[in-house]
Amino acid sequence: MKKMFILFITAILLVGCSSKTEEKSGKPLVVTTTGQIADAVKEIAGDNVEVKSLMGPGVDPHLYKATQGDLQTLEQADTIFYNGLALEGKMSDIFEKMKKEKTVSAIGEVVPADRILSDPMNPKLADPHIWFDIDVWKIAVAEITKTLIEEYPDNKDEYKKNEKAYFDKLDELSNWADTRINEIPEQQRVLVTAHDAFSYFGNSHGMEVRGLQGLSTNSEYGLKDVQNIVDFLADENIKAVFIESSVSEKAMNAVIQGAKEKGHTIQVGGELFSDAMGAEGTEEGTYIGMYKHNVNTIVDSLK
Amino acid sequence: MNALQIKNLSVAYEDKIVLKDVNISIPVGSLTGIIGPNGAGKSTLIKAILNQLPNKTGTVHILDRPLNPKDLIVGYVPQRNAVDWDFPTNALDVVLMGRYGHIGLMKKPPAKDKQIALDCLKNVGMEAFADRSIGQLSGGQQQRVFLARALAQEAEIYFMDEPFVGVDAATERTIISILKDLKAQGKTVFVVHHDLQTAGDYFDWMILLNKTITAYGPTKQTFTQENLQQAYGGKLFFMDQAKSNDNLVGER
Amino acid sequence: MLTGNLLWVLVGTILLGVAAGLNGTFSFLQKQSLVGDAAAHAALPGIALAYLVFETKELPILMIGAAITSGLSVYMIQWIVNQSKLKADAAIALVLSVSFGIGIVLISIVNQSTAGNQSGLNDFIFGKAATMAKSDLIWLSGSALLIILMCLLFFKEWKLMIFDPVFAKGIGLPVERLRTLLTALTVLTIVTGIQAVGVILMAAMLIIPAAAARYWSSHLGIILVTSAFFGALSGAFGTMVSSLRIGLSTGPIIVLVAATLFLLSFFFAPTRGLLSKLRKKKEFKQRRVAQEAMSHE
Repeated sequence: MKKMFILFITAILLVGCSSKTEEKSGKPLVVTTTGQIADAVKEIAGDNVEVKSLMGPGVDPHLYKATQGDLQTLEQADTIFYNGLALEGKMSDIFEKMKKEKTVSAIGEVVPADRILSDPMNPKLADPHIWFDIDVWKIAVAEITKTLIEEYPDNKDEYKKNEKAYFDKLDELSNWADTRINEIPEQQRVLVTAHDAFSYFGNSHGMEVRGLQGLSTNSEYGLKDVQNIVDFLADENIKAVFIESSVSEKAMNAVIQGAKEKGHTIQVGGELFSDAMGAEGTEEGTYIGMYKHNVNTIVDSLK
Repeated sequence: MNALQIKNLSVAYEDKIVLKDVNISIPVGSLTGIIGPNGAGKSTLIKAILNQLPNKTGTVHILDRPLNPKDLIVGYVPQRNAVDWDFPTNALDVVLMGRYGHIGLMKKPPAKDKQIALDCLKNVGMEAFADRSIGQLSGGQQQRVFLARALAQEAEIYFMDEPFVGVDAATERTIISILKDLKAQGKTVFVVHHDLQTAGDYFDWMILLNKTITAYGPTKQTFTQENLQQAYGGKLFFMDQAKSNDNLVGER
Repeated sequence: MLTGNLLWVLVGTILLGVAAGLNGTFSFLQKQSLVGDAAAHAALPGIALAYLVFETKELPILMIGAAITSGLSVYMIQWIVNQSKLKADAAIALVLSVSFGIGIVLISIVNQSTAGNQSGLNDFIFGKAATMAKSDLIWLSGSALLIILMCLLFFKEWKLMIFDPVFAKGIGLPVERLRTLLTALTVLTIVTGIQAVGVILMAAMLIIPAAAARYWSSHLGIILVTSAFFGALSGAFGTMVSSLRIGLSTGPIIVLVAATLFLLSFFFAPTRGLLSKLRKKKEFKQRRVAQEAMSHE
C-alpha cells in the first residue's frame, strides 16, 4: 500500500511539473488579455513573437475569471500586455503576481489623465474602453512598441517601421470613420447600446452615447434604468439601438418593446463589437476590421 | 362470509420478524379486540391488513375479497399521534375528509356530505366544536373527531388503533356507545386495545397476539387466564374475585 | 406612468407572487420548504446544459432544461433518504450545494466560449426582473393560471394528502400521483419565477408569504388566499420601489418586502401575533389576580 501511495504522489508531482517543460517554439511568447491588444502586438512585432490572447470573441473582460489553463499560459509568457484601467476587473491579483517575474504592461495606464474619460456615475473611476478613440489607442499602442523594443532591442528598427505603417492605417481609418459618421443626420447621431462601452467612440466622432448598463457589465441595473432609456429613445426619436456581441440582448429587447409600447418603433440596428472582437481569421477578427464593422453598422442603421 | 380472513401472514422489518404465520377468520358483525403486550405487532397487524406495509407475505381478504380502497368498505381510526394537530383545519373539516372517497376527485363537497359530517360530529357529542381549530382540542376531543371521521366513511368494517389511550371518561363512554351502535347496525369492528381490565367487557371476539397468534375466537373461549399468560409471557398477575367470573387482570 | 416596462414587470411579479404564495403554502404545510430551495438551485445546471446541448438561448428550451434538473433534484433527495442513512436535512443540503456547484461550473464554461456571454445565463442566478417584457408575460400568466386552477381543483385532495396521507390512501386517493402533481407545479413555479428573482432567492418567495399567512388564520382556504395576496403584494411593492432609482435590482427588493410582511405578521397579527399573545397573557394574569382577591374576601 505504501508503495502505491508513493508512486501516486510522484505521478501527480510529475504531471504538475511537466507543464513547465513544454516545447517552446523558440520565439518569445507575448500574452495579451483582449483581442485588440493582441492585434496591435501582431502588427508591431510581426512574426518575431508568438502572440496569444486569453479572451476570445464574445468574451466579456469585465466578468472574465482566469482559468487554470490561462494561468499556465501567463506563466509561460515572456511579456504580458493588458488594458488596465480596471477593464479586466477580476484579474488584478494575477497581474500583481506576474509583475514579480516578468514584464507586465498595462498599456491603458500610460495614457495621460486628460485623455482619459471618467465614469459618468462615479467621476473618480476611469472609463477603460480606450480602444474606441483611435488617437488615444495610438498612445497605448506606442507603449507596446516601447516595451517590445526594451525587451527585444535587436528588432528595434523593424518594430518602429511596423508601428509607423500601422499608425498610418489607423489614421486612415479614423478619417474614414469621421466621414461616414457625418452621413448621419445630426439629430440621429445618438448611439444607444447595452453598456457604456462607447464613450470614447462618441467623444472622438461627435456622437452622443447612452448605455443601459454602466461602465462594467458587472454593474447593477434595474427597472428605472430601462425606463430612462425607453423615455430617452421616445423623446429623441431615435431609429435604432445596438446589441453587443458579448452582452445578453434580453435587456435591449425589453427596451425595444417598451419603446414600441410608447408608440415609438425602434429597430435593432445590428450587433456591435464592444469589449471583444470578431472570430479569428475573419475581417472582424482584426482591430481595423472590427472598427469598420461597427462604423458601418451604426451609420447604415441611423442615416 | 367472513369479515376478515388472513392466511399465513408474515411481516419482517429489517431482518426482524415482526409478525409470523398469522391465520385468522373473523365473522361479520363481530366486535373484536386485538390484545397483546407492547411490541406484539398489534399496530403492525392493522397496517398489514390495510395494505400499508410493502413487505408482507400471505393473503388478507376482507368480505371475501382482497382490499380495494375504492370499494370504500373499510373505515379507519388511526392513533392520535399519526397526524400533526397543528394543521390549519377545523373539526368539521376533518370529519368531512371521511367523505372524500364518496365525493370524488376535484369536486367541491356538496351540502349533503357536509350534513353527514355534522351528524357524525353530533354522534360523538362534538357538534359544538364543528368550527373549532383542531389544535385547540383536547386529546379526547381529537379522538372523537377521528371517530366521527371514520363514521362519516359509512363503511362496513372498521379498524381502530388504540382509541381508548389517554382519553377522558366522557370520551371513553362515547366510544363504547358508538361501538354498540355499530354492532347493532351489523357492522364489524376491530379495535387494538391496551387495557386488559376492560377488554373482556367491550368485545365479543378476541385476537391474542404476540408476534404470532396465541389464540383467537369468541371472548369467552379466548380470553382465558391460560391464553393470556401465554400471550404475555407470564408477566401477568390475576386477582381472583371469588364471587364472579370477573378477573382483575394487570400486567406486571 | 403605469405603462410599458413598468406595467409588464408589475404584472409579471404579481403573477409570480401569487403562484409562489399558493404553491409555497402546500410545501410549507408538508414541512418541505427547503426541498423547494434545493429544487430552485438545481434549476441552474439544467439551464446551462440546455444552452450547451442545444446551442440556443430560446427561453422555452432553457426552461425545459431547468424543469428537468429541478424535478430530478426532488427525486434525488427522496432517493438519498431512502437508500442511505442520511436524513432529509442532510440530503437536501447535499443536493442543493452539488447541483448549484455544477451549475456555476457549467456557466463559467459557457462564459469562456464564443458568444457565451450573449447567453445571459448569469441573469438566472439573481434574476433580472427589469428585462421582463410582454412576451415573458404570456408564459408567466399561463403558469400562474394553471397553478390557480390546480389549487382550486385539488384543494381538498392536497389538504387530506398533507394532513393524513395514510387515511388518504385508505379511501382510494391516488396519493403518489397527487404528490407528483404538486411537485410538478412547484417546479413550474420555480422555473417561471427564477427569471425575476433568480435561483438563490426563489426559495424565499416560496417560503415567506406562506409563513406570514399562517399567522392570520387557521383555515387552509384563507391561508392560501392570504399567502397569494402577500406574494402579489411583495411583487407589486418590490417592483414599485425598485423603479424609483437607477441601479436597483427588483428581485432582492421583492424578497425584502416579503420579509417585512412576515415581520409585521409575526408581531401584529390578531390572535397569533406576538403582541396579541403577550396582551392575552397579561389580561389572563390580571383576571387571576382579581379572582384571587375576590376569593380572599
